[in-house]
Amino acid sequence: MDRRNFLRTCSSLVAGGVALATGGLLATKASAKQGDIFWQIDPYTCTQCGRCETDCVLTVSAVKCFHANRVCGYCDLCGGYYRPNVKELNTAAENQLCPTGAIKREFVEEPYFEYTIDEALCTGCGKCVKGCTSFGNGSLFLQIDQDKCQQCNECAIARVCPSNAIQRVTKDSAYKLKDHA
Amino acid sequence: MRKLYRNIAIVTGVFILMLAVMLGMSYFQMRQVSPLETGVMETLKELNETAADNESLQQQIRELDLLSRKAYFVKDGQLKTGIYLLLGMALVLVASLNLYYKETKNLPEKDFDPIDDWLIKSNARRYLSWAAAGVAMVGVGLIAFQHLNLLKPSGETLVAEVQDVEAETALPEDIQPEAATDSLSTDSVTTEEISDTAEVEDAKPELKIASKAFRGNNSGGSSSARGIATSWNLKSKKNILWQSSIPKHGYNSPVITGRNVFLTGADAQARELYCYDVWSGELKWTVKADGIPGSPSSMPKVNADTGLAASTVATNGEQVCAIFATGDVICSDMEGKRLWAKNIGLPDNHYGYASSLLMYGNMLIIQYQNNSNAQILALNAKTGNTIWSKSANDKIAWSSPIIATLGGKSALVVMGNPAISAYNINNGGELWRVECMSGEVGSSPTAAGGVVFGASEYAKCIAIDGATGETLWEASDFLPECSSLAATKDLVFCATSYGMVCAYDATTGEVKKEHDLTTPFYSSPVVVDGKVYLFSNSGKAYIFSASSFDLITSFETGEKTFATPAFTDGMMVVRTDESLYCVKKE
Amino acid sequence: MRRIFSIIMGVLGTSRALAVARFPKPDFTSGYRYPEIVHGIPNETFWNVLDIVLLAGMMALVVWAAYRKRSRAVMVTVSVVSVLYFGFFRSGCVCSVGSIQNVVFAAVDSGYHLPWYVLLVFLLPILFALLFGRVFCSGVCPLGALQELVNVRNFRLSRAVSAALSTIPWIYLSFAILYAATRSQFLICRLDPFIGIFRLGGDLGVLTFGIVLLVMSIFIGRPFCRFLCPYGALLSVFSSLSWKKVEITGKGCINCALCGVSCPVDAIRAPQASRTKEERSAGVKRIILFGLMLPVLTFGGALLVGSQSDALSLAHKDVYLYELLQRQEAHPQQAEPLEVETFHALGGNVEELKEKVDAIRHDYLFYSRLSGALIGFVIGFKLLKLSLKRSRKTYTIDMARCTVCGKCFNYCPQNIKTSKNEKAIS
Repeated sequence: MDRRNFLRTCSSLVAGGVALATGGLLATKASAKQGDIFWQIDPYTCTQCGRCETDCVLTVSAVKCFHANRVCGYCDLCGGYYRPNVKELNTAAENQLCPTGAIKREFVEEPYFEYTIDEALCTGCGKCVKGCTSFGNGSLFLQIDQDKCQQCNECAIARVCPSNAIQRVTKDSAYKLKDHA
Repeated sequence: MRKLYRNIAIVTGVFILMLAVMLGMSYFQMRQVSPLETGVMETLKELNETAADNESLQQQIRELDLLSRKAYFVKDGQLKTGIYLLLGMALVLVASLNLYYKETKNLPEKDFDPIDDWLIKSNARRYLSWAAAGVAMVGVGLIAFQHLNLLKPSGETLVAEVQDVEAETALPEDIQPEAATDSLSTDSVTTEEISDTAEVEDAKPELKIASKAFRGNNSGGSSSARGIATSWNLKSKKNILWQSSIPKHGYNSPVITGRNVFLTGADAQARELYCYDVWSGELKWTVKADGIPGSPSSMPKVNADTGLAASTVATNGEQVCAIFATGDVICSDMEGKRLWAKNIGLPDNHYGYASSLLMYGNMLIIQYQNNSNAQILALNAKTGNTIWSKSANDKIAWSSPIIATLGGKSALVVMGNPAISAYNINNGGELWRVECMSGEVGSSPTAAGGVVFGASEYAKCIAIDGATGETLWEASDFLPECSSLAATKDLVFCATSYGMVCAYDATTGEVKKEHDLTTPFYSSPVVVDGKVYLFSNSGKAYIFSASSFDLITSFETGEKTFATPAFTDGMMVVRTDESLYCVKKE
Repeated sequence: MRRIFSIIMGVLGTSRALAVARFPKPDFTSGYRYPEIVHGIPNETFWNVLDIVLLAGMMALVVWAAYRKRSRAVMVTVSVVSVLYFGFFRSGCVCSVGSIQNVVFAAVDSGYHLPWYVLLVFLLPILFALLFGRVFCSGVCPLGALQELVNVRNFRLSRAVSAALSTIPWIYLSFAILYAATRSQFLICRLDPFIGIFRLGGDLGVLTFGIVLLVMSIFIGRPFCRFLCPYGALLSVFSSLSWKKVEITGKGCINCALCGVSCPVDAIRAPQASRTKEERSAGVKRIILFGLMLPVLTFGGALLVGSQSDALSLAHKDVYLYELLQRQEAHPQQAEPLEVETFHALGGNVEELKEKVDAIRHDYLFYSRLSGALIGFVIGFKLLKLSLKRSRKTYTIDMARCTVCGKCFNYCPQNIKTSKNEKAIS
């Protein structure tokens, strides 16, 4: 019995030592404030492939279209708002590119129009982003809305993103906005 | 009381099952389909784009849009309610089951079952050993299978290669460069094409041999077609299958795939892609290049002998793409449905944009000739998205790209001013570049037996080793201006604007044979069926032997011809200044 | 790592250059002002602190309930709180089970900043296991708690089969480590069966799997914990060596065998060793045989899994992309997959990718051998342990398996007597 108890105590100590050593070692790697908690899209790498809409664990993706007003050209013929072969520049359903009508178009002054994203309707499909990046200034871009994101341990969209645009980020860089670019 | 709980449990259980299946299906739908983007809606919207202003159609779209929005939100709401209902029911089920089993809970299941620790251990040991042995067996089997597989495919390809070689030796006059040299590589587009469509047979069959771009499948000036007539007469209709008119003028050449003949025409009013039936010559459909964002409102200035539609279209058998002097690129499927269109920028080109398109699998290659920023673009033929692009700092040219088999691999060869260059076709990586051209380069290169040949009137004729980029020989006896070279392994054929045609020796560059025909040539020679077919601007047809370059026959057709003919099984489609006709032995 | 970084920077550089301002910034004359849009960032720090406090607090509560009170009611309460808070409210991420991968990931990738609380989420249950056993599994883990709460009746699987099946978690763990160490994917998170239930949505296949497991756990004790959970496997090692042991009763066992019936995870060991007679020398021989088998199995496992490393490496995005590129080159006629299209569009260089892929495949060879060795070792060790005979005088708890659910406390007549006596006294 003594022998067994001795062995047991020894292995307990070893196990405890291993656990503590691992913990200590990793603690030096773990950073107190700036751990990579969030997931975010780099808008400059994103190719608007459309998988953000379909691959998020949420029924309606946490990826939304953001709009950098300071980059926007306020165009009348907006590549992000209108379908490629649009006939008339009005807000009728048949002219809109957005499948859910999440972009609001408002007249500012001649010849400028303001575009605003209604996040509640946005599904993150990136169609408008593609249009804006191809024909306009690229002021529309996709971002993960951190309020909606579930912060999965591994982002389901990042796993299938063809351009590896989704990476782990720290709190300080929770959003990668184009406004300040 | 117990019965009641049991019944509740059963009822909720069944209910949960049904609800779960329903929710699962609905959830699946919601995740699969983008909420408001139904097929019907897309079709209607596309219809609206192509049709003239149609108020009722637009009204219909708006109503449908509203309807589908409503349906989506109702469904979303239902799903949420359903899930909460499901959770509630699950709670009820667990509770009722708990109550059902409550009385029996604290009793042992059977009579006291003294646990025989050792028996359990022995059994567990046995199971585990068997399972481990099973897994190991499967693993070893898998490895063995993989190793067998490693051996097998090489055997299979060997058989396939033998067949390939046989198939090609059965066509002795098939002097198509790739086919003769690269029986080992599997990526020759032409051989695949032949085998792909080989099974199709009916009364008026789809043609087995295609001519998918300017001067044949790879733009190289050769075709594997056979049985082409060597005489015909447009007046007496001898050996003429059909002759049709073309709605709008253009200098581009026809291309053929399946049973379709494609070409384009343009004037200041419209730019159009035409599809003719190869058997009847009937104009099947027309696709217009209009309503393209970024397209210039007024036509660019072009020379009368270039026109707005100088570039030949290209097809891969599924899509057909066309480009016009405005920089408009359109892509259609085989049924005449326009898939996409975009303007790649108005080319700054003082004669008019002339480079022809080329397709490689799913890729559309454009040698975008321009005074300001010449580029080579590779677009996805299905979507029009750029796959790669390459800025070439070259000066403007009017040459067309070709696909050549260099070192056993398909490569893109491009001629410009001042260089002939080869690129990796998959990503645009430069393989080699030889600076040898000058002046206005309008002729296109060709390749045979792994050697690339290029010539231009204001420079020279050059042969380059395709694998290394090393110059093999240079010559300047006779040089083409608009016409392009064609080649076999032994001879390089050249037709000039001043009436001289000649054959260079492919290995030395020495002029083997020359003919002074005293009539200008813009159209290019094509090597087909052991012969070289060539049309003069005035419309005289010349047929030479491909092995000796002796003139076999020549005769006037009566219609001015600037385009290069396209060849397929026993047929030749020729575009003249006025019409399109098909030659077939009667 | 530096190379990867430079590639990323290169990609960023080129695409930045593409983003040209085609239209000038408008000159507003009507006094239009740019709208200020604020994008919310949840206060994760607060919630993380709360997570850790609750995690530690609830584990301490379970320790108190198991060692002092011997009351199951506390475990049930903890389970309800855990399912509601960690499960439905915090929607499951990060959990201790998944944190294994973060830890492995941090160990191999210096570019990943392991958040402090993930480290705690990983370490705290292990420390508690080393001191008091698997109190985390009891009801603090939302996955275990969910199964515990829906369980109404325990139809026992053959104990021998269960014992053999308990090897699966180790195999699962080996592959999870393999994929995390090679930076391919987080297998455990991807296949987590209950996260879809907590989030009321997710991948349909995994969701179905979760529901099937949940329905199973109505009638079978904790199928996920016993036959799948890789963290449970890890904890069982520390738990079997724990400082304190859970005891069914403080009053002394009367060998009534009731507790053995109650245990949903077969963690109660009966007193008598065997009814089957066997020569001592046969037993010794078997032990020697399995002792010799241990290195053979370890080595064999390493060889077997190592030989599949190329196939396994397809789970890595880059390797898969390279494979797709190869396929595309072989069959250019086929439609181009999105991955390949994007690769070309971003100006990817196949040679560079090939280099990267070769490095990854090299990594894979090492780690797949390692995980194969681990699998072989675990099987060999299990076999060895199963051939050891022990004799006991009373019913005791196997700390490696016990999930501290507290069911046996209620079954033990000694405990019931005590509570009645206490009531009578008070």
